[in-house]
Amino acid sequence: MALPHQSTPFHCQAQSCTADVIPPEEVRARIEVLAKHFLESLNSPNPSISILSLVCRTTESTQFQEGFSTGSFTYLSRAAQQKKSFTQLNGMRSFVKVWKLMQIVYELLQLGKKATQRELYYRLLADSPDYFRSQQQVNDTIQDLVALLKCSRYSLGIIASSKGAVVGRLLIEDESGEVVDCTRLGPSGHIITADLGFLEGLRFRSDARYILVVEKDAIFQRLSEDRYFQSFPAIILTAKGYPDLASRVMLYRICKAFPGMPILALVDWNPAGLAIICTYKFGSTRMGLEAPRYVCDVKWLGLRGEDIELLPKEALIEFSHKDHQLARSLLASKMLENREAYKLEVGKMMEMSKRAEIEALYAHGYDFLGHYITQKILRLQYI
Amino acid sequence: MADLSTAQKILKRIQDLVRELLQDIARGSLPVISIDRFIPCDSLTDGDGLSVYERCESQERIALKGRTSTQRIVAFMRVLLIVQGLLQQEKHASKRDVYYMDPRLFGDQVIVDQAINDICTKLKCARSSIHVFSASKGLVMGCLQYIDQGRLVDCSRHRLSGFPIPTLTDGVTPMSEAEYILLVEKETVFQRLANDGYCMKNRCIVITGRGYPDVPTRSFLRLLVNALHLPVYGLVDADPYGLDILCTYRFGSLAMAYDAEALATPSIRWLGVFLSDVRFHGIPVRCLLPLRENDKRKAEAMLKRQYLKIHAPLWWGQLQELLSTGTKLEIEAVSTISFSALANEYIVSKINNLQFL
Repeated sequence: MALPHQSTPFHCQAQSCTADVIPPEEVRARIEVLAKHFLESLNSPNPSISILSLVCRTTESTQFQEGFSTGSFTYLSRAAQQKKSFTQLNGMRSFVKVWKLMQIVYELLQLGKKATQRELYYRLLADSPDYFRSQQQVNDTIQDLVALLKCSRYSLGIIASSKGAVVGRLLIEDESGEVVDCTRLGPSGHIITADLGFLEGLRFRSDARYILVVEKDAIFQRLSEDRYFQSFPAIILTAKGYPDLASRVMLYRICKAFPGMPILALVDWNPAGLAIICTYKFGSTRMGLEAPRYVCDVKWLGLRGEDIELLPKEALIEFSHKDHQLARSLLASKMLENREAYKLEVGKMMEMSKRAEIEALYAHGYDFLGHYITQKILRLQYI
Repeated sequence: MADLSTAQKILKRIQDLVRELLQDIARGSLPVISIDRFIPCDSLTDGDGLSVYERCESQERIALKGRTSTQRIVAFMRVLLIVQGLLQQEKHASKRDVYYMDPRLFGDQVIVDQAINDICTKLKCARSSIHVFSASKGLVMGCLQYIDQGRLVDCSRHRLSGFPIPTLTDGVTPMSEAEYILLVEKETVFQRLANDGYCMKNRCIVITGRGYPDVPTRSFLRLLVNALHLPVYGLVDADPYGLDILCTYRFGSLAMAYDAEALATPSIRWLGVFLSDVRFHGIPVRCLLPLRENDKRKAEAMLKRQYLKIHAPLWWGQLQELLSTGTKLEIEAVSTISFSALANEYIVSKINNLQFL
């Protein structure tokens, strides 16, 4: 059956596109469809080389959707499509690269194996040295393939390393029946695996009342070592900075398992801290297609402007040029449009031109951090 | 517990030190603290090259004289007070935590780091015994069980990701039936082995420090070697930085020179990769990447290390080969043989055929 126009035949929602985690057979099927389509066009009465249609991954094509029940999120609009064509002047190499990568990915999936991005680079370097000269080129082509096949990197068989960890009043059961009790772990907690398929199969049990998302590993370890969750019923999670996909999936799965549990974020008082909260809350353009599915309603607990008076003056650090840039772009972004409280926070940071780290609370003693968190939660001081 | 008695010993040493200083003041003279100095041996012109870092004959003296010295001795005393508190309350703190206990006095994290090193050198103790930790970033998996503070950790479970290496190694008692320990430079290689179920098919322990190893990782490795007496094989890239990482495991680092006994693992062997793997293991020659400027500079600097030439001449020879051919090879290149070549063939055949340096 001839397709109405030469574009990718995969179904996506009217406005938004998401990259799903799909099983290897289906990814192979999608590749086979593309290959078949390519051959059909070549074999047709008007032979031509089919064009590959990718979702455009630029800031212009990013939309922001305010949701009520589903939560707000950023997404890439399907309307903006980028076309890769063999006959286009500068597009030929890029076109060929996508096909070459598809070949290797197909082989990988057929063997049931996984590879890291660096290993793919060497494979492509060995097979097609004229096309792939640097890791960056391979990474770009991988993103192209994600945008073309509309499936996550994980589904292509690419291994990523895990960043996140979780600890606290949580029992994790995997498909084989093994149970991990997160109250009985060392200070580093339970590492969140990057295997998204594995994460999807986990089941949870908990008697916690809150989920705490912590920006930094050192704070996570401190709370873990002090066994904060024994005195206050919480699950504590960290992704050590900007969350990777696996950490977001884990948080999403936990919050879906326990819908009544508020998710509270503990970040440094600086534009980057707020940006991290926004990544959990809305997704990010960098993650492009993988963004909308795993948004969670994360609230900002601390540090906040109202806590600055608790800190010694010496603990406040000067804003750098990058801080200013990030603050300005946050204020201008659609994400903060209807969120006055967040805009006020950023405004205060810019006005003082200073930022502060959570560790500054230690000036009041070791135990103060736990005390601070508990008080803020009980007083409902989160936005 | 061993921890308690070391804590008691250190507390006593702190008291003795303070008593000395008070006696100085009582006599009407300024308090002075003398600290040993360490320098890397490659800067010694007539060194015998037998040790990596040597204590200098002359000691540094810090006192309430001159701005830098005053700053240093004041920071020293302030951190000493904090350390005493930690030991007495049986708590631990990170270096950053210590800074924040008195940011006005310290001014910068660097001052705190220096003070911590000074204290360890002066009290002649390991960093871990003063209860100051740094968050560990290493991972471990495989045929290993250990009891950490009363909890049993079984590293053979969780095939897909590793276990974090404990931040504090005191009191950790390992139990294992492994045949060897495999040390990998990069986390991605660790993940690759985890994905291929390497530890299920081979009785071994796999550790990664995710790059340059931190103190807990080196300490943990040393602990395993002391307790289990297993051979250690290192899997790093054939480039100057990979070799430097291997050297850090084997010889220690300048910053932690006073702790070398607890942190260096002299028995470690270099399993791979080597440039010669291209010939012997069928890796395409195209995978040899050219050395960059910073690689060359690093290699030249490393070639000057006397201890490397004397203690690990074969490693030194490999470094020379890197420079003379102007190429390097990464572990991931092995995947061009086949996707699971690393886990299924390369490592095992190298160990069985004793092809390590």
